[in-house]
Amino acid sequence: MIEVVDPGLETTIQDWPGRYGFWNKGFPVSGPMDSWSMRLANVLVGNQPGVAALEAQFLGPTLKFQLDTVIAVCGANMRAKLDGEPLELWQSHQVLAGQVLKMTAAISGARAYIAIAGGIDNKIVLGSRSTFSKAGVGGIDGGALKAGQILPVIPAEGTAGMIVPEASRPKFSKTRIWSVEVCAGPNDDWIDKAGQERFFSADWTLSAKSDRTGFRLEGPEWSFTPKAINKPAEHGALPSNIIDHGYPMGAINLAGQTPIILVNDGPSMGGFINPYTVPTASFWKLGQARPGEILSFQKISVSGAQKKAADLKQLCSQETLLKMN
Amino acid sequence: MIYEIPKYSPGGDRYILAVFGDEMNLELNFIAQGMARALKSSNTKGVVESAPCFASLLVHYEPEEIGYDDLIREMTSIFGLLGPSDNLELRSRLFSIPVMYLDPWSAECVEDYRTKIADKLPDPELIVRENGLKDVNHLVRLHSSSEYWVASLGFWPGLPFLMALDPRARLTAPKYNPPRTDTPQGAIGLGGGATSIYPVATPGGYQIFGRTPIPIWDATQKIPAFQGDLCLFRPGDRIKFIPVTREEFDYVEAEVKAGTYETNIVEYQNFIVSDYNAWNHKLKGGAV
Repeated sequence: MIEVVDPGLETTIQDWPGRYGFWNKGFPVSGPMDSWSMRLANVLVGNQPGVAALEAQFLGPTLKFQLDTVIAVCGANMRAKLDGEPLELWQSHQVLAGQVLKMTAAISGARAYIAIAGGIDNKIVLGSRSTFSKAGVGGIDGGALKAGQILPVIPAEGTAGMIVPEASRPKFSKTRIWSVEVCAGPNDDWIDKAGQERFFSADWTLSAKSDRTGFRLEGPEWSFTPKAINKPAEHGALPSNIIDHGYPMGAINLAGQTPIILVNDGPSMGGFINPYTVPTASFWKLGQARPGEILSFQKISVSGAQKKAADLKQLCSQETLLKMN
Repeated sequence: MIYEIPKYSPGGDRYILAVFGDEMNLELNFIAQGMARALKSSNTKGVVESAPCFASLLVHYEPEEIGYDDLIREMTSIFGLLGPSDNLELRSRLFSIPVMYLDPWSAECVEDYRTKIADKLPDPELIVRENGLKDVNHLVRLHSSSEYWVASLGFWPGLPFLMALDPRARLTAPKYNPPRTDTPQGAIGLGGGATSIYPVATPGGYQIFGRTPIPIWDATQKIPAFQGDLCLFRPGDRIKFIPVTREEFDYVEAEVKAGTYETNIVEYQNFIVSDYNAWNHKLKGGAV
């Protein structure tokens, strides 16, 4: 068991890949935004890559352990300290009952992942332990952690003293510019050539009005093909309007003139076009980008994106880890 | 237009969108729902889940188990085996949903958007202008005159995508530019040719002009009307919006809070597609 002394800004329980199977009832996948970091945190402590762990956003939590266990913190650097001593990221550490993990504001990246040997043992809702706090689904009581809560943990020995080699960690941008891969489609044919070129050449600023449901982008205007203009009235009159359809997770949803990347807790359907989609292997960049930072987009093929996802899966495994001396 | 063969396009590394036509009608919705069912019962390897809407089906697949091109081939062959929908006869529940049209909460939300985000015509007035109606009362009469078909669920837990079954009540509206960051729980909205009910306070892009006090999704699975489901509605249900006054709205809201409200559901009717088509044909030309 772990006591939540201070929940941080918005710390949630997430598992990977999250909640599959309810897209047709409007339930998002949820899960960690940076699954690269979360999966590595899990394998460091000896867990399967997808078991439930904590995602801390911008400002990390303070946790008091009521058991001897093994933990790892990966992702954003929130200056984690164990009983006041700096705790190295990307390594697994033995902790003893009574010790306190304290994290503060992120100095690089946006989201940190705390894995505990065995994983968190909150109730499974619709096949997943992930939290979808906007609708009160999953996690503990449907929301982010609160002070005073006790997190149940599945008993496990854990593997202390493991480390992720530098080369296997995600490379956070040091320039505040993130180069994010996108696949064309489903509705790229609604955007004209000039609009497509603008999309790929522009610097898109991540708006402060962004959260786990959507990342709003600020940038140039969009222009459209005749398909977007001359269409039956039931689409809706504006060029970005389309007869409501399913949204892929990661879709760059063009709502009017405002692109919104539909991230882990995003809507499953709606009536705007999705010219491009961020593939799963690039999601970690969204998870670590901070409001005000720049996203620039690079095209990748569907098969190229699938290969990246498979490579990442390979990388997020025990074989990647080294034993510390 | 209904396409001979679905149009496929990729959505990143794990999704395919199949589009069956370029309009909103019952036949297209039967194709989308029929494809979802047929794909599921085919047990095609690597299909994780699918989400049908008015005229399309989004398929989520596992690329380590099936490739993009192979899945399209599978879907096209399943599509070829779908039967016609014009002889269908199916059970269809009818829900009466109390709505306070032109309610103060939606009006306040729209006013807030107009002040802070973008100036626009208030939503009811915009729908009046777009559809050549007389005034907002005309909108209320027309919108509440038709039964609505639950074409699918999505966007947010429990949210129904609805289509007016009476062609005389078909209204259209542009969607917000940019979308609202908030919408009152229970708001009734129109976007394109679709009507919807917002299950909880969420961002939104439809024009809003009414509000229902009754819950349409229930994370606790405790409300009897949901019959063990998380969502009040299922595809193939019908909804009738019943205009209520503020006084009635407050009364129902209090009953909902007390746990004594009973949703009005009629469960003895079949929906006969050929009869509907014949009636529709008779009415043709009678649109607003």
